[in-house]
This record gives sequence, structure tokens and C-alpha cells, in this order.
Amino acid sequence: MEAETLLTNFAIIASFISPENIGTNPVSMIWLFPLASAIAVVYKATKLPTITTGNFIKEVLPLLGSIIVFLGATALVLYGLVWFITE
Amino acid sequence: MAQLSKEKHITFLFLVGISGWFIPGAGYFLLKEKSRAIIIFVTIILTFCIGLYIGSIGVIDPIGSWPWYIAQVMVSPIVAGLGHLTAGGGYPVYGRPNEIGQIYTSIAGLLNLLCIVNAIYLAHLRGIKANGG
Repeated sequence: MEAETLLTNFAIIASFISPENIGTNPVSMIWLFPLASAIAVVYKATKLPTITTGNFIKEVLPLLGSIIVFLGATALVLYGLVWFITE
Repeated sequence: MAQLSKEKHITFLFLVGISGWFIPGAGYFLLKEKSRAIIIFVTIILTFCIGLYIGSIGVIDPIGSWPWYIAQVMVSPIVAGLGHLTAGGGYPVYGRPNEIGQIYTSIAGLLNLLCIVNAIYLAHLRGIKANGG
């Protein structure tokens, strides 16, 4: 049991001292979502006068959506620009 | 008497700021904003840990990428300890994991800076209100 716990602890520490394998592909863009969520949550946590579960979610979701939509639109414009220059 | 009150107020603002730097969200905790403090603590620590998980502790590089390091150290002074550990280049990380890890950890630091400034401002407003200003 103790050896098992020790192994688990080593596995946890090891995951923080060796980097994950993330390729240079469109799938890596998925990592954008947790970061955008964190920004929306912290921003709204500082701005709302009173925090209740209902109003917090109601405020965070539109902000998260607008961040993602704006980033997507920017990416599309940049992709179009690159396509226009290279083709 | 007014001078003493002003000194107390400045000390309290300093305490709110420094505690918010040592533990994300602690500044709000001192202002009795518990739910706000918990949300901020969990979000900032989670964002920072995701960054470390993706890029390893090698993303904290006080020598090779010091502008990122300044933002990262805003999470907590403990990050400076991690920076001391990685300064020798013992945890190399390159490419996409390095980029994403640095972005995550630095954004976590900048978000905490936003919270520190906001908590100090809130404490200042309450101080003014309490003094009848």
C-alpha cells in the first residue's frame, strides 16, 4: 500500500518535471478553451458586486463565448490573409 | 488621530496586497469576500498548474525568458523558488509545450495582479466609506 502511494506521488511529480507532447496541429488549439475560461471566470469574479451561482454563470458564459468567437474570427481573418498571400 | 487612522488604512491596504500576492484570493478573504476569494484561488492555481503540467517546471526560466518570469512570479513568491530550481537549465522544454506552458503560467500571474489591484481598490473604497468620506 505504501509503495503504491509512493509510486502515485512519483507519477504526480514526474508529470510536472517533463513536458507533455503537444504537436503543431489544429488540435493543439483546444488548449485555448481552459485559458479563455480562466480569464472569463477571474474577470467576472473581480467585477460582479455580489456573487451567486446563477448570476455568476449567467455573466461568465457570454464573456467566454465572446472571447472564443472573437479569437475564432481573428484566426479566420489571419488564415484568409495567409491564403491570399501564398496562393 | 486622523493621521493614525490614515496609517492604519495604508497598512491594511498593504496587507491586502501582500496577502493576495502570497496566496491568490487572500486579499478578498481579508475583505470577507469568501466566495470571490475561493473562485479566484481555485481558478488561478488551476491555470498555473495546467501550465506547469503542459510545459513542466522548465517553463519558469528567470534567465532565458525573464519577461515571462516577471508575469509568472505574480502568482506567488513561491514561483521564485521554482525559478531558482530551474535556473541552471536542468529542465529543458522547447516548442509548443514551452509556448503553451509559458502562456498559461504568465496569464495566471497577470490575472492575480488584476485581483491584487482590485482587492486593494475595494479595501480603499471601504476605508473611505468607513471614515465617512
